[in-house]
Amino acid sequence: MTEIAMPLAHSPPGAAAAPAGAAGAAAARLAVRKLDFFYGTHRALKGINLDIPARQVTAIIGPSGCGKSTLLRVFNRIYALHPGLRATGSVLLDGEDILDPHYSMNRLRSRVGMVFQKPVPFPMTIFENVAWGIRHHERLGRADLADRVEQALRRAALWDEVKDTLGKSALALSGGQQQRLCIARSIALRPEVLLLDEPTSALDPIATGRIEQLIEELKSDYTLVMVTHNMQQAARVSDRTAFMYLGELVEVDATETLFTRPGKRQTEDYISGRFG
Amino acid sequence: MSSPIAIATRAIDLRSRADARHDAWFRWLLASCGLLVLAALLGAALATLWGGREVLFGHGFAFLTSAEWNPVSGEYGALAPVYGTLVTSLVALLLAVPVAFGIAMFLTEIAPAWMRAPVASAIELLASIPSIIYGMWGLFVFVPFMARVEPAISATLGRLPLVGGLFQGPPIGLGLLTAGIVLAVMILPFICAVMREVFQAVPVRLRESAYALGATTWEVVWHIVLPYTRGAVVGGIFLGLGRALGETMAVTFVLGNSYAITGSLLMPGTSISSAIANEFNEAVGTHRSALIALGFLLFVVTFVVLLVARLMLRRLARREGA
Repeated sequence: MTEIAMPLAHSPPGAAAAPAGAAGAAAARLAVRKLDFFYGTHRALKGINLDIPARQVTAIIGPSGCGKSTLLRVFNRIYALHPGLRATGSVLLDGEDILDPHYSMNRLRSRVGMVFQKPVPFPMTIFENVAWGIRHHERLGRADLADRVEQALRRAALWDEVKDTLGKSALALSGGQQQRLCIARSIALRPEVLLLDEPTSALDPIATGRIEQLIEELKSDYTLVMVTHNMQQAARVSDRTAFMYLGELVEVDATETLFTRPGKRQTEDYISGRFG
Repeated sequence: MSSPIAIATRAIDLRSRADARHDAWFRWLLASCGLLVLAALLGAALATLWGGREVLFGHGFAFLTSAEWNPVSGEYGALAPVYGTLVTSLVALLLAVPVAFGIAMFLTEIAPAWMRAPVASAIELLASIPSIIYGMWGLFVFVPFMARVEPAISATLGRLPLVGGLFQGPPIGLGLLTAGIVLAVMILPFICAVMREVFQAVPVRLRESAYALGATTWEVVWHIVLPYTRGAVVGGIFLGLGRALGETMAVTFVLGNSYAITGSLLMPGTSISSAIANEFNEAVGTHRSALIALGFLLFVVTFVVLLVARLMLRRLARREGA
């Protein structure tokens, strides 16, 4: 079952320590253990256990309302903004539980970046959009800051398109450019994990293609977790895929395995389009 | 004999002609509603201009530049009322805007869910209290209070360099500062209600993506929410300012009604609307004309202030590359 998990080839030696059952997992950057999530009294996630290996793209798929976005939003605790939401269990980021109230929010958010469904540029210039987050975490001189902004924009494959208009409002960019700006903004903080919540659902096919290509490029440096309702997209860009249904994690495996030889009946029904 | 199709076509034809006619009526109706606003504004401006023509054109610039107001000797200078109007409104804005911002920020970002709606309704209720009530409260409760704390203000703020002069004077309670504070209380609910409304309209995903970068509540509100809602927030502030500039009763009660221009906020003064309210009853002839001219001036002052605000907003927007 693990023979097609090529990413193992360049995983660090510690990979053997991955928990049993996490087929094909390299050293887990994020390890979810017995995670439950509640919207008030409604239990939206039920005992999730999941390992997310470093420097790979992990896709989370499943029908609407299965909890895939909810799971993603636990990883940077963004859910905590809203009253009445609560997570129990643990999510270990490099071995430390981020759900521990003592885990610094600042530290978490600088280590785990997030890109949302619709591009959300801030109402400021392109430069400021990227510089704003950096300034919160670091005190940099003007030149260093400009360097960091350029690096981030280059990494997000946006630099060539905006280098002459850095002082213009980010709201004037196209949707696809705005989404790459949002990615630039997140990676400017040099996170380890990048969460992508249906990052292309509001974009046209060409812009989607560019974002997918970018995701491919980013995985050499970052651990990416992507929620998508588009199975083709999951198949195209991810190394591993997790299938969720009704708040439970049904199956997780190397993407190719999951799509060609799914282990569970529900997975097979879903990927063959029988429901969802 | 016409075919059924022809009959149907004619019916559709008739129908669409009637539709077009109704649409045209409706458009005229809406247009006249809009024009009514312009007509009312223009009419009010012209009526005050006409009523005040004797003083406006007869006395010329002296009306604008003179601080002398003496109906007995026939001298009418509007400087003191204009000064009083601007100063009390400015004090009111300086006090009300930060507090309104704080309340709105608390209600949209921090307050627990059960608290938001009741407090928001309370604010809207405050906005509906008639100004005479504020005036009475100001005179019977707040003025005596101010008379007691003014010595302390003079002894502390009055000692500061540069601004010290603003806080010196006899502790009588009445005055520009008192009027400014009462006005601040009055306009606070307006500004706050608008701010809360527009802060709430900021898309959740905008806030979330700012928080996801590790931003603090302050950073999110100051750098994201406020710029996003800037136009509406300034609109709300000017709604409050408009009310402050024109407010009559509350101000008349606590302002002291003196035509002297002094450098101190603790001294009594007058404002355009309170001058009108105080003297209109016994004014005849030139005096009446002078008061109506004051009314026209209030128009102009309000208009200029709003215009300046618009221009500032536009320049700000351009500087930020929007």
